[in-house]
Amino acid sequence: MKKKKISPPNQSIPCALLVILAVIGGIVAMMCGISTLVLFVSSPETTPTPTAATLELAYSPEKDALMQDLIARFHKANYKTPSGLPMKINATKMDAADIVEAARAGRFTAISPDSSLWLAQIDAGRERALVGEAARFAVTPIVIAMWSDVAQSLGYPQKPIGWQDLLAKAKSDANFKWSHPSTSSASGLLATLAEFYAGANKTRGLTEEDVKNRATLDYVGALEKTVRYYGEGEQATIDEVLKRGRSYLDAFVVSERMVVYFNGKSSQKIVAIYPVEGTLWQDHPLALLEQPGLTDEQRLTFRRFRDFLLSPEIQKVILQAGYRPVDLKLRLDDAASPIKTSNGVDPAQPQTTLQMPSATIIEIVQASWYLAKRPANIYLVADTSGSMGEQNKLTQAIDALDTFLDQVQGDRDRVGLVPFSSRVYNAIALQDIGAQRAMLKTQVRALKANGQTALLDAVQYAYDDLQKRGDRERINAIVVMTDGIENASSIKLSALTDKIKRGNASGVPVVIFCIGYGSDADWNVLNALADATGGFARRADPETIRKLYKILSTYF
Amino acid sequence: MNRTRLIFFAFILLALIIIGVSLLIQQLSGNIPNPTAQPIQVRVVSALPIEPWVQDAAQKFNAEKHSLEGRTIVVTVTPMDSVTALGKWDRGEFTPVPTVWIPDSRYLVELVNATYSAKLGRDVFLTDGEYRARPLVTSLFSWGIYKSRAETLEKKFGKDNINWKTIHDAAIAKGGWPELGGEKAWGYFKLIVPNPRKNAAGLLAMVAAAGEYYDKTTITTEDVTNPQFQKWLKELMGSVTDFSSLSSYTVEDLALFGYSVGDGGQLLESDLLVNMGGIQTRWADPLVIVYPKYLTWFDFPFTIWMGTETSAVEKNAALQFEKFLLSAPIQSAAAARGFRPANTEVSISGAESLFVKWKDQGAKTLVPSTARMRAPDRETLQTLLRWFDLNVAK
Repeated sequence: MKKKKISPPNQSIPCALLVILAVIGGIVAMMCGISTLVLFVSSPETTPTPTAATLELAYSPEKDALMQDLIARFHKANYKTPSGLPMKINATKMDAADIVEAARAGRFTAISPDSSLWLAQIDAGRERALVGEAARFAVTPIVIAMWSDVAQSLGYPQKPIGWQDLLAKAKSDANFKWSHPSTSSASGLLATLAEFYAGANKTRGLTEEDVKNRATLDYVGALEKTVRYYGEGEQATIDEVLKRGRSYLDAFVVSERMVVYFNGKSSQKIVAIYPVEGTLWQDHPLALLEQPGLTDEQRLTFRRFRDFLLSPEIQKVILQAGYRPVDLKLRLDDAASPIKTSNGVDPAQPQTTLQMPSATIIEIVQASWYLAKRPANIYLVADTSGSMGEQNKLTQAIDALDTFLDQVQGDRDRVGLVPFSSRVYNAIALQDIGAQRAMLKTQVRALKANGQTALLDAVQYAYDDLQKRGDRERINAIVVMTDGIENASSIKLSALTDKIKRGNASGVPVVIFCIGYGSDADWNVLNALADATGGFARRADPETIRKLYKILSTYF
Repeated sequence: MNRTRLIFFAFILLALIIIGVSLLIQQLSGNIPNPTAQPIQVRVVSALPIEPWVQDAAQKFNAEKHSLEGRTIVVTVTPMDSVTALGKWDRGEFTPVPTVWIPDSRYLVELVNATYSAKLGRDVFLTDGEYRARPLVTSLFSWGIYKSRAETLEKKFGKDNINWKTIHDAAIAKGGWPELGGEKAWGYFKLIVPNPRKNAAGLLAMVAAAGEYYDKTTITTEDVTNPQFQKWLKELMGSVTDFSSLSSYTVEDLALFGYSVGDGGQLLESDLLVNMGGIQTRWADPLVIVYPKYLTWFDFPFTIWMGTETSAVEKNAALQFEKFLLSAPIQSAAAARGFRPANTEVSISGAESLFVKWKDQGAKTLVPSTARMRAPDRETLQTLLRWFDLNVAK
């Protein structure tokens, strides 16, 4: 009988262990192998991380159309990082001064304001520079744009014209209408700097003492009273002049590129005046921001985009858009170049520039400009009809009014409140904001939704009061916040707009801005009110609400 | 062999096969480089004026697959202005530490060495021996002035008399160009000087101006703290239109913005030569070159970091790249960009040379005997920078 072999206990346990270990080892090895195979098969090209190589870019609004075109071309080229990630640009349009604020707050990894002067502002007072690699890709001088006959009346083209001529004309001729953008753009800042230089009787070496000098401030203040309006940047000004024609403005400060753009679209021509005292250049930098967390892939995307902008093909696109390209091989006197006298511009100009003061002086100029410009009379016309109680609309409007009252700087502006539903009630007359800010805020917070919508009566109430006051020293404005369709007024829309147009022509000009809440706002009514006065009608999106005062103040 | 052991060995064999196959796949796809074939990285931080040439040379070098001890050498080049790099060295902010630094000038190397001597008790860049700093090319500082303006200045101050003193007199002319004999439309005399906090050329311009003010080649701290000199320098700097400018390539500014931003300045000869054609394309008034009495220059030394972060093999790989940069074909490429080659076999007198091409604009292959400014010591340079911060930048 064969004796059955019995494994001793000390042998059977290691065998079991070996099997278990082998199985575990096999599984681990298979997982490693499979993961490798997966990595190999699914290359990064097919599974990109969408954000690692995405550049968050803020750019100034006057080159909106160009930037959108260039970014679309860049995306179409399908550039990828060496690791296979797609290079993308997520772009946001923003005022140059806001870009400074947003960059400091860490919101973007790259910026392209209208001038490199803003780069100095970003780094002013910082121990470590935030602005990293940078390159300019297009340049254009800032000019005074005038209708040809207006320029000729000042001596053009025989006599060189300067800031002093413009300012003298504005002071001596009450009918002369001119405009420059606010100091949140390079062209607005230049115009303001030119005023301070003229006020200090200098063209260089502007000091803090010069800017704060009473005589300089009085000079700038007197000039700013002649400004028709400031507007939301030079593109907005050009669009408005295209829409309204030559009765709107006689002269306005924009970049040379805008003159080319305008003359390409209008049969009535304007000419670029290169101020004899000197001008400044927009130099459109593209700058990387060394934000914490900036990835190597983002850096590569930045460099790829920079090289793309500087490539000969794109530089030609930039020239055709009316900018002077940085590629010096492209001739401005070429037949295909739009920089030519038939477009109202002169490639041999400008001859000289004003001296750019330090970032500190520029900040003082910006602050002083605010104090020097015209103060405003502002009526806040608030809809409290029953429908405003739906979808939180009244709460949003109260928050917006509250923020607006907080944002009114200084004590010079006068603000009043006109709440309405079926009729105007509890109106607070205009008074210096310093004297009644607290009362206005209390009244705003107490608004309740009830009744119908007598929108036109409320606007008429505010308008009549402003006309009765007849205050020409100030800018007069009405801000309307409403959600509904007019259904309770005694005056008709056409009668009111006719009255406003007549009143603005013969009395004090009043500008109406309308903010519409909800989907049922009557945009025909709101647009008609705004258009009759040169204001605007906009939806109450968070950005508009957050910056309402700032946006409106560009019109004041 | 019993069944259990068979199963065990079968699993082990299977595991080994899977691992082997996966490693093979990884090797083929390049995800895990073989350590023995790992390339030697040479990280170069280059001064801006010379960077395009170094970048092109690095691409050629990499394409030729140079190797050392069986490993390929890969050169990467990062552009950085020397003043920024100087700050990064001082604060120990380079990560990773570059293998090689090519600053604008040897005096910047000495400044870094001075910092590290205090910290480590030794130099981090060598001035002699195999790994010493060697100039790659040189470029002189010369006056680049728009011709119409240069002619007006010569009429006013005398022929061949464009120097820091006459430029100062032009800068302070209260009536601007009309007072100097020029046109009203030209405005005031506008000097181009780079911001010395952004560009080493700005610092060198102040040193050169001090040299001519004192009529000597060595400038000390005492000289630059002299109130009369400081007043004179402030008046001079007062004619610069913009120190906030983005560009470190100031000749590029002259080309892009023309006489509107600057009538002229003491600028890098290579930049002037390279941009001369562009200036003539963009502006009707050509630029002329005038060599100053007291000569300053950039010599772009190739300096190898001697700290522990750089291995011996990396240092030797860097030496190979240095040799490549000094080779005749690459030096000829530098000459084509307006630099004066360090390799004396390479001529700048040929028909294709930019020095010959722009001879009529004042470019010279051989500069007449002039006084050479000596590099000031660290304290003098720091004093000048502090003075600039307090009196001009603000």
